[in-house]
Amino acid sequence: MLPTEKTPPKASLSDLTVLAYGPSKIGKSTFCSEAEGALFLATEAGLNNLDVYQVPIATWEELLNACKALAEGKHAFKTVILDTVDNAYRMCAEHMCQKFKIEHESDLGYGKGYALVNNEFYRVLNKLALQPYGLFLISHSQEREIETRTGKLTRVVPTLPEKARKIVIGMVDVILFCDLEVGPGPDGKPVQKRVLRSKPNVNYDAGDRTGRLPETIDLDFAKFAAAFAQGPTAPAAAPSPAPMAPAASVGAQTAAPKLTTNAPAKAQAAGR
Amino acid sequence: MSERMTTTYSMWNLFRNCRKAAHWRYVLELVPLEKDRHLSFGSLMHECLEVWHRSRDLAAALDIIDRACAKRAQDEEQRRVWHLATAMLRGYAGRYATEDFEVLELEKAFEGEIINPETAAPSRSFILAGKVDGIVRIGDEHFLLEHKTAAGIDAGYLERLWTDFQITVYAYYVERALGIRVAGVLYNVLVKARLQQSEGETEEEFEARRAELLAKSKTGKSSARRRLPESDDEFQARLAAKYAEPEMFHREMLYISRDQFNTLRAELWELTQAFLDARRRDVWYQNTSFCFQYGRPCPYFALCRSGGSPNVLENFYERRPPHEELRAADAESVSPAGANETF
Repeated sequence: MLPTEKTPPKASLSDLTVLAYGPSKIGKSTFCSEAEGALFLATEAGLNNLDVYQVPIATWEELLNACKALAEGKHAFKTVILDTVDNAYRMCAEHMCQKFKIEHESDLGYGKGYALVNNEFYRVLNKLALQPYGLFLISHSQEREIETRTGKLTRVVPTLPEKARKIVIGMVDVILFCDLEVGPGPDGKPVQKRVLRSKPNVNYDAGDRTGRLPETIDLDFAKFAAAFAQGPTAPAAAPSPAPMAPAASVGAQTAAPKLTTNAPAKAQAAGR
Repeated sequence: MSERMTTTYSMWNLFRNCRKAAHWRYVLELVPLEKDRHLSFGSLMHECLEVWHRSRDLAAALDIIDRACAKRAQDEEQRRVWHLATAMLRGYAGRYATEDFEVLELEKAFEGEIINPETAAPSRSFILAGKVDGIVRIGDEHFLLEHKTAAGIDAGYLERLWTDFQITVYAYYVERALGIRVAGVLYNVLVKARLQQSEGETEEEFEARRAELLAKSKTGKSSARRRLPESDDEFQARLAAKYAEPEMFHREMLYISRDQFNTLRAELWELTQAFLDARRRDVWYQNTSFCFQYGRPCPYFALCRSGGSPNVLENFYERRPPHEELRAADAESVSPAGANETF
């Protein structure tokens, strides 16, 4: 009944749940399409130029049906790509509104409507994440002004409502921010390069629970897979976040200092 | 002896309510990245009330609000706070133009020993610090002045004041630190008006409303006019009228018995022992009944729900040393209470 061995850390991309977000047309879908055995659950148009397997999804029921078919396992797909998770959330909200015969989530008092939507969204996403396939969630990016204790900062975040953002970030292993990085070109002139950012920063959402990814990788699935396969770059992040720095523009490369474990003060426990 | 951990009422109260939340805040020193607007409003009003009670200078107190909401012309949230705080303070100054108490201290910091009630020995691990909003004299008795901003005052709110652990803690430590016998507490409750500044209606909204009225009209005519946005002056006037209502401010005086001090000492000591045990074993269990205590999620709900995911931690929280409320206090702290009680 009880385990006799430890669960090994996730070492395969097909075990991961990944959130990839960034501005329109940067190449998020193209990046994900190169994942092994990719199947797109396409809640948004925009895959026309990609030669991929896709299930067009127009409603939450259609998404549930697709998930059910996936769960039956009679297929060869290894990675499920929800493109976009933002639209999936909207469909979920519409579905719940229809179910409860309301026009908007706010029509049910005391936040009940929002809670119903979030619970349904979390249930389905969680079930999808527990399937034996890789799960990539795609989202667009937006700038959001956040009021902190020391002032306001502008942060790039996925275009999900705040509570849904917390749900998604809480369940994924890796958060990849697709960004443009300016660097010197071959002729010395500045050129823009598409990159993935995987480490937390004051200016954008990002993260890597696996600890296997470098801070910045080219927006290229082969390079991403190679970096992941190469293994840990640093110990996986542990509780103890970094102090906030002043707001900077999108694409700033200033990384927050690495988190370190704040060990329990067991030494002090002896003295009462 | 290793350096002792400074603790506050807030810490012990949180630890008592949810050990997991106390661990996030006071051991790992995490706070949400985003400021809680409910707490921000309370802090602003505390600052204003301190100036008001110190100087009775309404302009100076209002100036604090003006400076805190300097971007109210562009920022909707700042405008909302500015209107509410300004009207609340003006209403308060009008209601309490004269006071029947004498202010002795404002924002007074204190620090004291946590005493083992059985041995009378001070804790080797913790000290307790805090800051009271004020100490006032009424007749020949001293009272703690405690400001509270509340969404409303109902029977439950008033009943809860009797169980306020914070005030017993403060009264006990102030009494020991300052040598003043604290008879009780004067709760100064300011209610937050729920009025909203009207945004008016758009031309389209007006036309739709007018069409609806015309359809119902027997004469085929309507005298409806487009509702225009409420000006700042109009909204302030509406808020002023609201704050002229008696229920928007409330003073409640409670006496504290010496028995409460004995109970407090015993409870506080028990909490220290429970905290030491939790820290030694590194076990901090979650009290799920506390997750939505105030009708909104606990600040650490997202972190708990994700099982402490580093992704949530790193993207929604930052590290801040605990006891922020003490750092805002004036530097003048008093000698540790109970220092005469040693081994």
